[in-house]
Amino acid sequence: MANEPVGVLIIGAGASGAAFAWSIAEAGMSVLCLEQGPWMKQGDYPSNFIDWETRGMGPFATSPNVRKLPADYPINEQASAISPLMFNAVGGSTILWAAHFPRFTPGDFRVKTEDGVADDWPIGYETLEPFYATNDRMMGVAGLAGDPAYPHHEPPMPPLPLGKSGNVVAAGFEKLGWHWWPSDSAVTSREYEGRAPCINLGSCLSGCAQGAKASTDITYWPAAMRRGVQVRTGCRVREITVRADGMADGVLYYDEAGALQEQKAEIVVLACNGVGTPRLLLNSRSPQHPEGLANSSGLVGKNLMFHPYAAILGIFDEPLGGRRGPTGCSIWSHEFYRSDPSRGFVRGYSLEAVRGFPPGQTSLWGMARGMLPWGGGHHDAFARLYDHATGMLAIAEDLPEETNTVTLDPELTDSNGIPAPKITYALSENSKKMLAHAIERAKEALAAAGAVETLDEPLMSAAGWHLMGTARMGADPRTSVVNEWGRAHDVRNLFIIDGSIFVTAAGVNPTSTIQALALYIADRIKKNIGTLFD
Amino acid sequence: MSDATTPLRDPAFLQAFLDTLIPPGDDGRMPGAGSLGLGETIVARIEAAPMLGPAVGAGLAAVRDAALERDPAGFASMPPHLRAEVVESQLAAHPMLILGVGLHLYPAYYQHPRVLEGIGEPPRPPFPEGYTVDETDPALLALLEARRRR
Ligand SMILES: Cc1cc2nc3c(=O)[nH]c(=O)nc-3n(C[C@H](O)[C@H](O)[C@H](O)COP(=O)(O)OP(=O)(O)OC[C@H]3O[C@@H](n4cnc5c(N)ncnc54)[C@H](O)[C@@H]3O)c2cc1C
Ligand code: SF4
Repeated sequence: MANEPVGVLIIGAGASGAAFAWSIAEAGMSVLCLEQGPWMKQGDYPSNFIDWETRGMGPFATSPNVRKLPADYPINEQASAISPLMFNAVGGSTILWAAHFPRFTPGDFRVKTEDGVADDWPIGYETLEPFYATNDRMMGVAGLAGDPAYPHHEPPMPPLPLGKSGNVVAAGFEKLGWHWWPSDSAVTSREYEGRAPCINLGSCLSGCAQGAKASTDITYWPAAMRRGVQVRTGCRVREITVRADGMADGVLYYDEAGALQEQKAEIVVLACNGVGTPRLLLNSRSPQHPEGLANSSGLVGKNLMFHPYAAILGIFDEPLGGRRGPTGCSIWSHEFYRSDPSRGFVRGYSLEAVRGFPPGQTSLWGMARGMLPWGGGHHDAFARLYDHATGMLAIAEDLPEETNTVTLDPELTDSNGIPAPKITYALSENSKKMLAHAIERAKEALAAAGAVETLDEPLMSAAGWHLMGTARMGADPRTSVVNEWGRAHDVRNLFIIDGSIFVTAAGVNPTSTIQALALYIADRIKKNIGTLFD
Repeated sequence: MSDATTPLRDPAFLQAFLDTLIPPGDDGRMPGAGSLGLGETIVARIEAAPMLGPAVGAGLAAVRDAALERDPAGFASMPPHLRAEVVESQLAAHPMLILGVGLHLYPAYYQHPRVLEGIGEPPRPPFPEGYTVDETDPALLALLEARRRR
């Protein structure tokens, strides 16, 4: 069935699709977004229920392979050291994200120049700066201006309170003389543009019933729809279609009832994240593009970067009140962020303090670690762990490698019969050394903060929160998929705006940069509208 | 000695087993896991687990049979310390038993209102009341103030 053609067709209503839609709507073209998932209802989020932790491990689990909801597609992750995580709905993965909101630093765009590895980006921090600022305002960011690790910027809201656990950990960094700063967080610290302030539910990773956390279904989408953008949910795009000259002319998608539909468009924009985007490009083969769309470089699906994570936990004698407050938003440290040859690895990592753990999670990690016995000693052991543990995550800069890939699985398909992605990913020696270094430093910080015992998880396997690099940007069509403003080298009316286009990953969470890029690309399209396809 | 019915479906056995894993606390604050009516939910989850489900079933059957060998009245009638001994005696042959039950029992137990009260948490969902947290230590903020890039 054919639908009314549109000017701009965006595929994916997550972090990047929402930001782009809001901005491009100003151009006066008709804008439609196709999203395979539904609109979420805050009343359904787990924190409305006493068994919220269990619900968070089932229908709100971060892995689509665990959730298996109708909107999810399966992912073959057997050949990956890290599981890819995401959510599929209006809001995308921001429905479940922690909203820790660091920017990249200027040096993150110049990795080759600074350290002789990977590549420089074709754009820099200065280009993205105004879009970071607009995005901070649109998402609603709480933070403390003046972090010496960054160029000056002013978050629109004051920082979130650190809570007891944050104060304790920050004091540890202070003792060692190491850099730390309250994190920028896309969480309201006060009433903000109709959103209520955070009430410290501590359930951010299974959705924010308070509406304090900036998921794009409550930030960008209402504003984009006021500008006339349409969102069509329950629509899974099978492939991007092309004209005889190889330009994109729309998509074929399955609607909620499973019927195949056709949607024509003048411009097609991909915002399906670092796994969904290469999957769709590889599924869009045609005589004009036999290896998949926009893939003359052969790089679609290659250079997958995740951010390898280690978790480091301290157990304290004093209670920390730690399960309360926004899970991932406390303090960060860039003490070990830049290369130092004496450490035996290139580039670096950031440390991100997290809060404590709710009772159910405490019991599970206590059991997994052999620290929570069954029988007589159970209650004393639980009392020692619960509310007495806090810690941090080390986020290593993952360098691009062509052997880390998203390909199409030869057998696995989703519920519409569309080939599913397969992830092949191994940790580099550089990342291993980086994480080993990070664990020791984090333990030092926790000990300085007063931890009586420290534990670590050297590589968190269920931590593929960040999906990057699988359709990288660059000036040269032989070594990149899109140009410096997201336009596919091979298909001049096809744009990619999600983390796929990252050249390198930095050592911080990516979403503020993903969204700043999406806004920047929309801005370039608006400015060049007359000559867009030249 | 063995019985064809799965011990998972024997309420008295299950209650005694859950109480053995998480017994009532000495001071009366923490209830035993068997007394909370969690059995049905946990059993459904264990039975749905493709790998651990059968391992748990086999382990529990071994516990039941070992108990019957010691005392014809069976596991549920034994005093707590003897039950614990029987369970312990079967773990070498059934190493996944505790994990397979604990994965479902522990979170269910620690979300029960009586248990939440016992550990000092309000027995309610997080939303809508929420919680309060300590403000950022002003002394720490003063240190940052001096380092701010302007
Ligand atoms: C649990 C969790 C915690 C996280 N915490 C943080 C954090 O603290 N800070 C941070 O910076 N980042 C965090 N992230 C990552 C962050 O959520 C992502 O970087 C961000 O959402 C990516 O934006 P995106 O637009 O590229 O993709 P997504 O937000 O993933 O959106 C992609 C959308 O495309 C849709 N889609 C895909 N394929 C199709 C198709 N074929 N047809 C139709 N629709 C399709 C999907 O349904 C989805 O809604 C976290 C992620 C998770 C899962
Ligand atoms: S802690 Fe704050 S941001 Fe997180 S879920 Fe609760 S109200 Fe939302």
